[in-house]
Amino acid sequence: MMEKIWGKTWALMGLVLLNSVSNVSSLSVTVNDVECVYEYVIYEGDTISGNFVVVDHDIFWGSDHPGIDFIVTSPEGNTVHSLKGTSGDKFEFKAPRNGMFKFCFHNPYSTPETVSFYIHIGHIPTEHDLAKDEHLNPINVKIAELREALESVTAEQKYLKARDTRHRHTNESTRKRVIGYAVGEYILLTLVSILQVIYIRHLFSKSVAYNRV
Amino acid sequence: MFSGGLTACFWPIILVLCLTRNTYILPVAEAIWLTIPSSGTKCVSEEIQSNVVVLADYYVIDENNPDQIPTISARVTSPFGNNLHHNENATHGQFAFTTSESGNYIACFWKDGSHKQDSELTLGIDWKIGIAAKDWDSVAKKEKIEGVELVLRRLQGTVEAIRGNLVYLKDREADMREVSEITNARVAWFSIASLGVCIVVSVLQIWYLKRYFVKKKLI
Repeated sequence: MMEKIWGKTWALMGLVLLNSVSNVSSLSVTVNDVECVYEYVIYEGDTISGNFVVVDHDIFWGSDHPGIDFIVTSPEGNTVHSLKGTSGDKFEFKAPRNGMFKFCFHNPYSTPETVSFYIHIGHIPTEHDLAKDEHLNPINVKIAELREALESVTAEQKYLKARDTRHRHTNESTRKRVIGYAVGEYILLTLVSILQVIYIRHLFSKSVAYNRV
Repeated sequence: MFSGGLTACFWPIILVLCLTRNTYILPVAEAIWLTIPSSGTKCVSEEIQSNVVVLADYYVIDENNPDQIPTISARVTSPFGNNLHHNENATHGQFAFTTSESGNYIACFWKDGSHKQDSELTLGIDWKIGIAAKDWDSVAKKEKIEGVELVLRRLQGTVEAIRGNLVYLKDREADMREVSEITNARVAWFSIASLGVCIVVSVLQIWYLKRYFVKKKLI
């Protein structure tokens, strides 16, 4: 009886262990120069996946902003993954070892940028884990794979949402610019023509005319 | 399958999980770590739609001096500026709320002035919204499901959240398309209007100057 209870206990713990994968919501951080986010990877060989989008970048002049750099550093200090000069990208790689990983965003320019990022660390039990714990079924592997597939869909959605937010900022800016610059153009045109008329009047005024000849 | 023996073995489970680095095994304590500068505030934000549950937990991590952990202050503001959570001089805290309006929710943290050290401190934030913030233990207790069935229920919840997100993205895309089309029409009309303003202003100029010269008997 006691063995059955302990067996069930270990099986439940195994299930809890397998299905607790690290997951964070997609947060936005303002990057002035360097912003680093740390996340702990429990198992070696876990898949670290995620995406980031520069949401509120300097859309005032020029669409060829150099972008920001993204560097992932392992606990030992090696650069595991790096993306340079992008305004948003996805990434996926296997963790070479467990430990605290550092995800850094570098902003080469002085204007602060808001970056929306999402990092997910997924673990699928391998045959080694199955062999170690006899209460783990192959069904747990399939459930973990299904969970990872659903997480990847959710990650894509978060990426789309961040890109949509950036597109919306651009649209809003375009709308404001169209109205602002058009009305400004009309006012400027009217002002310039009034100034022209005043100047011509001044040229033909009596005081100037007497000074000719 | 698990019904009978579980209640008797609750404490050993918790004990073992506590001993085996449970901060990373129990889903409650997963988090990202941020560094808070010695001066200034560090803010994280997220754009959240309305009627979404937000659950967050933050704690200061300082391995150097565990006796005197530095304290921080936190503030969470809604997009309309309401203060949803405010905490001073704390080493950990949590907040939970349901969003009433959609927009940017910002959580800011800063170091308290009482600590004169010039070092940065590390803050762990566990921020969960929507389906991730759902309390599955209470669902399991209420509906008396456990094990594989509970896991599959969680996956079903995730799938429903995916569908909800798709609908939300579709609506946002429709709004943006409307704004784009209005801007497109406006560009055309404002350009034609600017041409019209140009012509009208030049006609007025010429008319005024002609009248002026006739008055001055120059022509």
